[in-house]
Amino acid sequence: MSGVNLSRRKFLTTTGLAGGGLVVGVSLAGCGASRPPVTPEAGSFVPNAFLEVTPDNVVRFFCPRDEMGQGVTTGLATIIGEELDVAPWNMDIVFAGPHEEYANPIFGVQITGGSTSVRGHYLPLRELGAQCRDLLLQAASRELGLPVGALATDDGHVVADGIRRPYGDFATAAAALEIPEAAPPLKPASAFKYIGKDFPRVDGMAKATGTATYGIDIDIPDMHHAVVKRCPVVGGTLRDLDKAAALSAPGVTDVVEIASGVAVVAKEFWQARKAADALEVDWDLPELGGLSTADIKADYRAAMENEEGLVAEEAEDIEAAMADAETVVEGQYWAPYLAHAPMEPMNAVVRIEGDEADVWSGTQGIGAAQGLVARYANLDKDKVRAHNTWLGGAFGRRGTLTHVVEATQVAAATGKPIHLLWTREDDIRHGLFRPASLMRIKAGLDGEGNMLTWQAKRVGGNITPDTIANAMPGLLPTAIGDSVIGLAVGLADHAFGGWVVDGSSVEGLFEDYEARHVDVRHVTRDHGLPLTFWRSVGHSYTAFAKESMIDELAAKSGQDPVAFRLRHTQNNPRLNRVIRVAGERMAAMHPAPGRHLGFAAHHSFSTDVAEVAEVSVEGNEIRVHRVLCVLDCGIAINPDIVKAQMEGSVMYGLTAALHGNLELVDGAIRESNFHDYPILRMDEAPSVEVVLIDSDGEPTGVGEPGLPPIAPAVANAVFAATGRRLRSLPLRLS
Amino acid sequence: MIEFTLNGERVRTDAAPDTPLLWVVRDSFKLKGSKYGCGMGQCGACTMHVDGEAVRSCITPLAAVQGESVTTIEGLGTPASPHPLQTAWHEQSVLQCGYCQPGQIMSAAALLAHNPNPSEEEVEQGMAGNICRCGCYPRIKKAILAVASDAAGSELAEEVTT
Repeated sequence: MSGVNLSRRKFLTTTGLAGGGLVVGVSLAGCGASRPPVTPEAGSFVPNAFLEVTPDNVVRFFCPRDEMGQGVTTGLATIIGEELDVAPWNMDIVFAGPHEEYANPIFGVQITGGSTSVRGHYLPLRELGAQCRDLLLQAASRELGLPVGALATDDGHVVADGIRRPYGDFATAAAALEIPEAAPPLKPASAFKYIGKDFPRVDGMAKATGTATYGIDIDIPDMHHAVVKRCPVVGGTLRDLDKAAALSAPGVTDVVEIASGVAVVAKEFWQARKAADALEVDWDLPELGGLSTADIKADYRAAMENEEGLVAEEAEDIEAAMADAETVVEGQYWAPYLAHAPMEPMNAVVRIEGDEADVWSGTQGIGAAQGLVARYANLDKDKVRAHNTWLGGAFGRRGTLTHVVEATQVAAATGKPIHLLWTREDDIRHGLFRPASLMRIKAGLDGEGNMLTWQAKRVGGNITPDTIANAMPGLLPTAIGDSVIGLAVGLADHAFGGWVVDGSSVEGLFEDYEARHVDVRHVTRDHGLPLTFWRSVGHSYTAFAKESMIDELAAKSGQDPVAFRLRHTQNNPRLNRVIRVAGERMAAMHPAPGRHLGFAAHHSFSTDVAEVAEVSVEGNEIRVHRVLCVLDCGIAINPDIVKAQMEGSVMYGLTAALHGNLELVDGAIRESNFHDYPILRMDEAPSVEVVLIDSDGEPTGVGEPGLPPIAPAVANAVFAATGRRLRSLPLRLS
Repeated sequence: MIEFTLNGERVRTDAAPDTPLLWVVRDSFKLKGSKYGCGMGQCGACTMHVDGEAVRSCITPLAAVQGESVTTIEGLGTPASPHPLQTAWHEQSVLQCGYCQPGQIMSAAALLAHNPNPSEEEVEQGMAGNICRCGCYPRIKKAILAVASDAAGSELAEEVTT
């Protein structure tokens, strides 16, 4: 609901990686201008922290972002390879170690998330690729005695009349050249060889043959395995522990009390797991111990009724404006707590030897892993070697590295190299959660069916304080103590509780459509469950409320849902076009008898997406047969990977829409594994058709924006099928 | 001491007989391609073949494979000599994070071994025991059907030429 001058906006935009700005300001102060962690081979040409060309013609790309499945290794290799003129599949791609050179250009710290990787690196990596190629050409020109103008390049080779020589032949000579300040001119899009083209992902064969190494696969000499027994209620503390039985179990070497529980260490994982399961522990339960989901919902409802809330967007007199409306519609929407449940549970391997350490873990921020080991093992950061691996899924979960803290504490206490693995039960019950949300939207139309008012309020927890609490210990210099961090977290809690709205709590609730009076409030209610970003963050729940309400407004005023959306996005041409294209295709879908279509659109992570769900309802069972997804993400680096991200976002969003629910019972999460926290399976999965709007605009986010529209598209199709508005997630007809 | 065949080689281990096969293969024999996902046979990330049948190795006790022949993803194919499913997975960019894919591929290989020409619905049913959190299902299905039809095609070609 943009382009309206009657409103004032008051919130901190911390979308994606909340608190990034705050963390950046302090963390970089602690870093010197040290060398990037690249150890070049003899005679190599290393023009920058991202590239190495060896004399035997290996072109190595140090990928600064983490591969959690989104295709970033292929994407960034394509971007740098385009200007360097090396095919992405002919590069040796390695994960960059921790260093400020590898900071995410959008966040300023070495973190992967918020659908920022391609957006942030698109120009910088092209410039570095172009610069490297330019220097190789200069070196070749001298060696071959030909002017640079007579030389061209082709996939890692310098070519001229009758000459085709690999880049490696000129690596040593290029290394002796001075690196110019300014980058050479970049290619026009019309000359792209790799950008915008479909080709297989670079990691396909390694992953299909089981030879890709994930964090869980790390195996080092004398490695011991640790499993942590945790209090069923978050924040509980150890009262009493009988170690004897566990210590006498086969293979068990140590039982260690750590901050998050009791770690059982054994020679084999299975020995540790069995002994941990059998461990008898008494816990002192925190206040959360008395709470169940029904209590939290009741508290949210009361807050929704009784509290005005902080202003995120303010209309001067929304009540008076609402009184002028011809049609007023109101709805209240619920979204539950959710776990991320990536297929690879959290894990870390830590080895401490004297004043040095190594840590291996698949993370969304390897610099934080290094910082955490340094902090909790009392070591210099420079003495901690942090090794990133492939990530078995992340979805926001691998931005928080308490498992690295745990492995460090156990390694420090036992003196052994430790492989610490969370069980699936740990993952579902003891991680960080997508916050539960209660949202209310009241909207009014004038006599012509134009949106006059949009009044929205959300009640729930904020992710930023927990994000700061979890990110700062890893990112800040170790000299900054825990008490200072505690103070900062307390300040954030206080600020977002009573002073300014955490942008990630309300993002997506009101921005997309035009209304004359827009008023958005937020009430913070936090019952102590740890919260974090979950694929598409606030949009994962706000789009459900917003798009359900838009659909209801259209239906109540007898307007076509696509036409209604087009009418209210006149000042938002990119979203408008996506809606129009999806609407045209929807009109041609002709669902079979018994099947119904639902529409939704949403802007997030700078990308516009519209989705149509084809749904049938039999008894109380909702089945999604087919999904159409239309998006504009600017230029698509690898269109097939963009499509895969949309397909995956639809599936991830459908799991949440149809199944996802964590229920708190006496402070403990009831669900524990895939039997009671079901994930969408192949026999429930719809076919997905993805339509990319042809664009030569700058690339925008891809990993997350496909998710927000799917739940409301399904809910709107269920309305078309049954006449019932489902306002609670997961969608249930019973 | 329990003995079995692992990817064609006779092996023996003194691991406790109740240890799930998954952990014996990963920790004792250091074959890390089979993955832990749930530990209760719900997700299929640990899928191996025992005498040609797809089993959930996370709930298969070591004692159950005494004398049996176990095949893991490492025994199915390698980057230099991949199984047709592995080639299809690569060429069609089926996977994303890839963590569940060894299990998906082992399930798919067993499915095709039993039913070389499955219908779309048979693939859906046969693969419903394997969870993919990245949501690669449409591509997994398409790749399996393509491999099945390629194999049918090449058999047909063989018949024609002979």
